Amino acid sequence: MGNLRLSHSAALILKAISLGYCFGFDVMEITGLPSGTVYPALRRLERDELVESRWESEDDAFSDQRPARRYYQLTREGKAAALAATERYPLLARLLPEKHS
Amino acid sequence: MSTRPSPLPFFHRAVLHSAEQIVPAAERDDFVRSWHAELFHMLHCIPRRRISTFRCHIDLPLGVVSDALWIRTHSLRRSLAGTPTLCIGSLLALSLCSFVFALLSYGGPHALGRHLGRQAEQSLVAVPVILFVSSAIASFSRVELNSIAHTLHRINRLLFAALKTSLALLLVFLLSVCVSRPFYIPWPHGADFMQMLLFVLFALLAVRWSLLDQEQRCKHCLCSLAVPSRVGRPSHNLLEWTGTEQSCKQGHGRLSVPEIVTSWHQYSRWTDQSSSLDRIASI
Repeated sequence: MGNLRLSHSAALILKAISLGYCFGFDVMEITGLPSGTVYPALRRLERDELVESRWESEDDAFSDQRPARRYYQLTREGKAAALAATERYPLLARLLPEKHS
Repeated sequence: MSTRPSPLPFFHRAVLHSAEQIVPAAERDDFVRSWHAELFHMLHCIPRRRISTFRCHIDLPLGVVSDALWIRTHSLRRSLAGTPTLCIGSLLALSLCSFVFALLSYGGPHALGRHLGRQAEQSLVAVPVILFVSSAIASFSRVELNSIAHTLHRINRLLFAALKTSLALLLVFLLSVCVSRPFYIPWPHGADFMQMLLFVLFALLAVRWSLLDQEQRCKHCLCSLAVPSRVGRPSHNLLEWTGTEQSCKQGHGRLSVPEIVTSWHQYSRWTDQSSSLDRIASI
């Protein structure tokens, strides 16, 4: 897993998640990638155990009057891969701003 | 299922409902739930001015479909990877492609049929050579079966090996015909010889592959063996065996392949584990 070669899109998505964009639509908006790339890529990253997903609690979602969301976060391997990807694609760090909220 | 405070518009519901049919039943609920939340977020939680019509009506629905297709493809790949069905199916598909290519390059079924008949007769001359070399290769790649194999499994193994080898030979025959085709106009007699030579060469490779593939399959379910692991140390070869062990994913058995041939471990050895699995299951 350590030597996993990531495509530019996958690296961008991984970087976005590491910066706190943990919801599919958020990732799509900040990276500017089409949804047909983002969602299958998220599944591939999850299959490769670089990201893991968890469901938001129903109570939290209900209080906001919306359905529960699926949030993604980096695993330990994912963090290492995101770091390696930033070294490989140095522009990634400048492309994506950190999420404030 | 989650509480759904507001329904999605008809278009998005229709897209989600159609895409849902592509996803395998076991993963359908999760898929619908994820996409319902995504679409809801786009339609109700983001200010309208930030969402373009393209993203709303084309890009996201395309994402729903491609995500569903990815899940279906991944599920198929997972369930078919290494199975005998995939092996036979791939060989059949490749043979069909070669046949279509030969049909196109010869300009019709009549001309191809005539040519194939002649080439098949000529290629029969090469069969004794192929049989001789194949039997020599087969004697090197023997697998010792530690337990008495079930007759049905043995028949399945033989049928699979025969079908796989026949299809591989058919494929290489068609390939040799396609490859030698451009040489027929400038060099008709030489092209015949070339086709036969190519057929012998490809056939030997095909038989070699078929035997190796057969060796590296489970003797019960015929799926490819996985998880190779190294066992022992080469420097301890006089005290214990060294080599690689590969296991069946279903747990039917284990193949031990020696790294260095010794008098007590000359060939690869299959150790059956299905009976112990049955015993554990019955406890």
